[in-house]
Amino acid sequence: MSAGNGSGRSWGFFAVAMLTGVVALSFGFGFVLLPKYQGTQGPYSAKDSLYHALGLHAHGKELGSVQPPLKVPTYIVWTDATIRQAMGGDAKRGEFIALNCNACHVEQAKSTEPWIPILAGLDRLVTYKQLDDFRSGTRLSGPMSAIAQSLTPQDYADVAAYYASQPGMPENTGERMPHSHRTYRNPDPLQRLIFAGDPKRGIAACASCHGPGGYLIGAPALTNQNAAYLGQQLQAFAQGTRANDMNMPMRTIARLLTPEEMKSLASAYAKGLAELQ
Amino acid sequence: MERGRLLSLAHLWAAFLCFLPATGLGLWQLLMRSPLPVPVDDPNAYYASLTAHGSIMAYVFPTLFIMGFGYAIAVSALGRPLRGENWAWAGFVLCVVGSLMALAPIAGGRSSILYTFYPPMVGNVWYYLGVAVVIIGSYFWVALMLINFAAWKRENPGKPVPLAMFAITTCALLWGWTALGATSEVVFQILPVSLGWRHTIDAGLARTLFSMTLHAIVYFWLIPAYVAFYTLMPQAAGGRLYSDTMGRIAFVLFLVFSIPVGMHHLFMDPEHGSGFKFVHSLLTFIVALPTLLTVFTITATLEIAGRARGGKGLLGWIRALPWNEPMVLSVALALLLLAPGGFGGLINMSYAMNAMIHNTSWVTAHFHLIFGGVVVIMYMAIGYELWPRLTGRPLITKRAACVQLWLWFWGMLIMTVPWHIAGLMGQPRRYAIFDYTDPGVAKMAWLDILSVVGGVILVCSAALFFYVLARSSLASAAESISPIRYALAVNPPARVHPLLNGFMFWNVLLLALVLITYGYPVGQFFFLHNQDAPEHSLTREMKR
Repeated sequence: MSAGNGSGRSWGFFAVAMLTGVVALSFGFGFVLLPKYQGTQGPYSAKDSLYHALGLHAHGKELGSVQPPLKVPTYIVWTDATIRQAMGGDAKRGEFIALNCNACHVEQAKSTEPWIPILAGLDRLVTYKQLDDFRSGTRLSGPMSAIAQSLTPQDYADVAAYYASQPGMPENTGERMPHSHRTYRNPDPLQRLIFAGDPKRGIAACASCHGPGGYLIGAPALTNQNAAYLGQQLQAFAQGTRANDMNMPMRTIARLLTPEEMKSLASAYAKGLAELQ
Repeated sequence: MERGRLLSLAHLWAAFLCFLPATGLGLWQLLMRSPLPVPVDDPNAYYASLTAHGSIMAYVFPTLFIMGFGYAIAVSALGRPLRGENWAWAGFVLCVVGSLMALAPIAGGRSSILYTFYPPMVGNVWYYLGVAVVIIGSYFWVALMLINFAAWKRENPGKPVPLAMFAITTCALLWGWTALGATSEVVFQILPVSLGWRHTIDAGLARTLFSMTLHAIVYFWLIPAYVAFYTLMPQAAGGRLYSDTMGRIAFVLFLVFSIPVGMHHLFMDPEHGSGFKFVHSLLTFIVALPTLLTVFTITATLEIAGRARGGKGLLGWIRALPWNEPMVLSVALALLLLAPGGFGGLINMSYAMNAMIHNTSWVTAHFHLIFGGVVVIMYMAIGYELWPRLTGRPLITKRAACVQLWLWFWGMLIMTVPWHIAGLMGQPRRYAIFDYTDPGVAKMAWLDILSVVGGVILVCSAALFFYVLARSSLASAAESISPIRYALAVNPPARVHPLLNGFMFWNVLLLALVLITYGYPVGQFFFLHNQDAPEHSLTREMKR
């Protein structure tokens, strides 16, 4: 066996040498030759290209002498801490704070005025975010901005917990049980818009975030909401007077809708789930 | 022995029982994407179906099949009862229970996250627990294969481990290593979010960990097909294997190079630098080597058999081969599918060319051609080969088996070639619905309809496969069925090089290579980035 072991060593050495060669070749190309070559080709130096090879992207610094002014749509970021705080409200305390809200949003939070939104049953994260946006001025409203200024983030969470516990709008659980006719095969243009969107115009399906059949963090369920309020908000997004949507999906989509579509979408959602199924 | 047979049979039945309905789901998905009418046209149903189809076809079906095949090899190639058979049954039960755990939330529309998880999408916790239980069950198999391998070697010092056992143990080891990537992603990242303990997840790290599994899993699926190439086909063709050593080298190369190439799935991911993407791209070309070695060896083996059967001339040996043998036919068909599939793979793995086909239907078509084509057609042939040995009943008809394999071959080509072309035209993958009134999309309509035709042929073929096996199981028992015999090499090895008779050396090389190629890409998340994404829960289940 000693001869066998001897050749074992040499074959093993051979295998290791081959592997080392391959690794050296790939690293040599990836981290030395290519960055060097890239350094002679584009606006970046060889050193920047080496950083790029390591995943330390440094483009911003090079090109960043003139930056457009920052427009912040919202100061809410869905971090772990924010979600915990927004979900951790005390409904009892919220009920007490909500006494101030009832002048407009009325008892049991079912508004009678059609341009004032229904808050009962609204998702906690939605209420929390909107209150914070009113406070920071990224969503504008005379009375609401003033009220939100006087509240703390803990108050937002408490009020949100209270309204979420009220019966009213159905909670969007993101239920995804299959239903027929939710594709472009559906002949009804409104149903198509709600469940499949219109890719020719770059419009995503409403339901994919607002339900039924979809859910997105921070996006409110719309079924049973006041039609006039929904229509007004779509107009506001389209004209840019409301601009607190992160990554601007609503500003983008609303701008592409016709006034008739806005009206019929608002009324379809307002009539409730049964209308949409 | 009787119980050993039952063990393999249970695995294979469970695998094929999952496989058949999953092909039906696949056909329905093709219909959804086509302009043709379809029942239950709902994108949510599409994603649920895709998750079920993918989870079954990628995790449940191949894992159960390979486990069953592995046990059959351990018993027949080593010529002794399986050590630890009770543990094997325990592993089987875990795999079945895990599969049911995972499938229930998918059926309820609560885990339509596609089978690749894709954080920050988060589905129902039972789905992930189910997948984890399947992986745990498969680890029982990994351990048993290693134990049986080692025990045989201890009792037969200096003798070469039979090639079939050597190869399937490579497969087990490869799975043992590579499943660690996805397992750590599920355990350390996804489960805490899915359980509601955390609300954010580092999607870049999750994708990187998953990439450690994502490519090597393909070789985990492929190795059993290659085992049939090397050890079952030569016998069925009436010849001998061209080279035993070449086989061992190919399997060892798969073990070493399958994992440190996974980042070629992340070429478009911004969280990694270009350097490591290039390294993984180049190493992926090395992993094509064992396949090229195999194509050479298997063609030579076929030629040896053809000439032994009296074939003359430059190509006359091809005609002399027994094409009515399912095993021989399937190897030829698999090699024919491997040619376009491998070619497509070369495009995917090229750092620059990948950009053309990234996230298009091309990719889906590619892995259906390679896995659904090359691998599954061999699984079917292995099924036909093992069935009489496991059930003690003869195969009712080899003719129907051959027709079935031809149908699978043509079905796969008719489905995937138009699918590739649609991908090159820019059709995105993972889309449930297309608006065919859009002139840009309308151009692809006939391609999608052709794919549906291929899908129909595939479902018919799968049903025929199932029918042949089921009918054969009900046939009257044969008096004698020849045991599985593994191919002898032209020059059977009396002794093989110690490095090609064990795995310690290759394990060390593999570990070193993984550390070199994945150490920084994984490590960087702990010192460079701190950008966890908010979870994207598919459904809201708990009032948190």
